[in-house]
Amino acid sequence: MRMAVGLEVHKTRRLRVWVLCLVMTVAVVALSGMNLFSESAREGFADPAAQPWESLLLNQVMISAMTSPVLVAVLAGRQVDIEHQSQGWFLARMSGLGPGLLCRAKAVVLGLALTLTVVAQCVLLFLAGLVVGIEVAPPVALWARYGLFLLLVNLALLGLHLWLAARVDNQLVGLGVGLLGAFYAVYALLMPTWAAYVLPWGYYAAISPVAMADDQLIESMPIPWAFALFLCAAAALFLGACRYLDRAEGGPA
Amino acid sequence: MNHVITTEGLTKTYGSRTVVDSLDLRVPEGCVYGFLGPNGSGKSTTMKMLLSLVRPTRGEVSVFGRPMDHRTRHELSPRIGSLIESPPGYGHLTGRENMAIVRRMLDLTDRQVERAVATVRLGDHMDKPVRAYSLGMKQRLGIAMALAREPRLLILDEPTNGLDPAGIEEIRDLLKSLAGEGVTVMVSSHLLDEVDRMASVLGILGRGRLVFQGTRAELFDRSTPDLILQTFEPERALALGLSASPIDEGLRLPGLGDDDAAALVRRLVRHDVPVHGLYRVRRSLEEVFMDLTGREGLS
Repeated sequence: MRMAVGLEVHKTRRLRVWVLCLVMTVAVVALSGMNLFSESAREGFADPAAQPWESLLLNQVMISAMTSPVLVAVLAGRQVDIEHQSQGWFLARMSGLGPGLLCRAKAVVLGLALTLTVVAQCVLLFLAGLVVGIEVAPPVALWARYGLFLLLVNLALLGLHLWLAARVDNQLVGLGVGLLGAFYAVYALLMPTWAAYVLPWGYYAAISPVAMADDQLIESMPIPWAFALFLCAAAALFLGACRYLDRAEGGPA
Repeated sequence: MNHVITTEGLTKTYGSRTVVDSLDLRVPEGCVYGFLGPNGSGKSTTMKMLLSLVRPTRGEVSVFGRPMDHRTRHELSPRIGSLIESPPGYGHLTGRENMAIVRRMLDLTDRQVERAVATVRLGDHMDKPVRAYSLGMKQRLGIAMALAREPRLLILDEPTNGLDPAGIEEIRDLLKSLAGEGVTVMVSSHLLDEVDRMASVLGILGRGRLVFQGTRAELFDRSTPDLILQTFEPERALALGLSASPIDEGLRLPGLGDDDAAALVRRLVRHDVPVHGLYRVRRSLEEVFMDLTGREGLS
C-alpha cells in the first residue's frame, strides 16, 4: 500500500491537482467572505446579536456545498482517467497491484489533498474575519467541527467518485454526477431537514453547524446516528468495491 | 523439448459466444512463437488468459511448468514481460518518469531500466512527455517496460502496430536477438509477413480454434500445393477424367500428393499425352494461412 501511495504521488505530477485545490480554496474564501466588505455587515462586527461569525460560517456552508462535490468529482476523474488512458490498470496488474489497491492509494493521496484544501478554506476564512475586524468571540469549536464533518463528507463522496471513475471510462459521467450533486447539496439547505439525508450530497447541508430559526442563527448538527451510518456505509461500500475490482477480470471498466 | 507455456483445452466464452475454443498451446523455450490469426480470432483474449488477466471458462494454463492463475500470478509475473493491446504509458509524464514508475513498481535497479531503454533505442526521447510520442515511440516504451524486469518470457500482442517499416525491422531484430539470449518470445500478429520473418514456431488461430501449431516447414507440409501440368494438349489430359482447371501453360491440378503426381505422369505417358513439364506452385504463407483459417480475411 505504501508503495502504491508513493506511485500515486508520482503520478499527480502535471495533473494540476494542487492547482485545482488552490483555485477552489481561493474561490470558497472569496465567495464566502464577500459579505465581509458590505457596510451592513461591518456595522455588526462588534455586536454579538448580529452573529457575524455565524453568518460567515453559513456562507461557507453554502459555497462549500456548491463547490465541494464538483472538486471531488474532478479530482477523482483526473486521477483515475490516467489509468484508462494509459493502460495503467494492466501495467499495475502485471506488477501485482490490483485496480482496487490503486483506487485505495488514490483515495489516500486525494484525501490528503482534500484535507489540506478544507483546512486552508477554514483557516483562511477565519483569518479573513479577524483581519476585517470582527470583534465578537469566534466560535472556534463550531468551525473546527464543521471543517471535520466537511472533510468526512468529501472523503465519503471521494470513494463513490473513484469507483464511478474506475467503472466508467467517460469522465464526463462522474463530472455530471458531481454537478447534479452540487445542485442537490445547495437545495438541501433550503428543503426540509429530512431531505438532506436522502442522497449522499445532502450531507453537505446536514453538516451545517448553523441553521435559521426565527430570524436567528442557531447551532445545528447532523443526526449523529444517521451521519455515522452514512460514513460507515460509504467506507464499507468503497472497500467492498475495491475488493471486487481486485477480483474482477482485466481492468475495472 | 521444454515448453514454457502449455495450455490444455483453454476455452473462454462470453454468454453463448465462444471466443477461444479448446486451445492446446505448446510454446517451446527460447523460441519466437508467432501467434497468428485474423482480427477477432481470439489472440488477445488468449494472451490475457496466459497472463491470468482473464479467467478461462474451461481449461488450464501452465507457465514455467506451474499453473498460472490469480493466485500464482504474483509469483510468476516478475519473470514475464508483456504488452497487450495498446502500449502502456502515462501521457502526462515523460518517458523517464514512466520508467521511474515501473522501476518503483517492480523494485528494479537503475541499471535494469537503463538497459531496457537502450535496448529499444529510446534514450534520446526520455525527457519528452509520452503524449508527444509517436505510436512507434509508445510501442518502444511499452516494450522497454516489458523488458526492464529482464523477463524469461515475453508476451507481446501486435508489438509492431503503428510502426514504420524501419521500426518493424528493428523490433523484429530485437525479438530475434532476445530469443538468441534464451528469452522465450510469444508475439501475436495478423500480419503474416511480419511473423514469418521472425518466428521459428507458429500457432494459427481461426475463429477461436488452433488450426495449426508447428514450424514453418510443417505448415507447408500440411497443405499440398497445386500441381501445374505443362502440356500443349490439355483437352486430351482432361479427357482422361482429371480434376483440373485449364490455364495458359496447361492444367492446374489441386490436392495431389507426391504418389498421386507420379501415378498421374505414368497415366499421361501411357495415353500418349505430351508432358512438357510438371511442377508445384510455390505458395506463400498467406495462401496457406487463408486455407487454414477458412479465408476469414487478413484485415
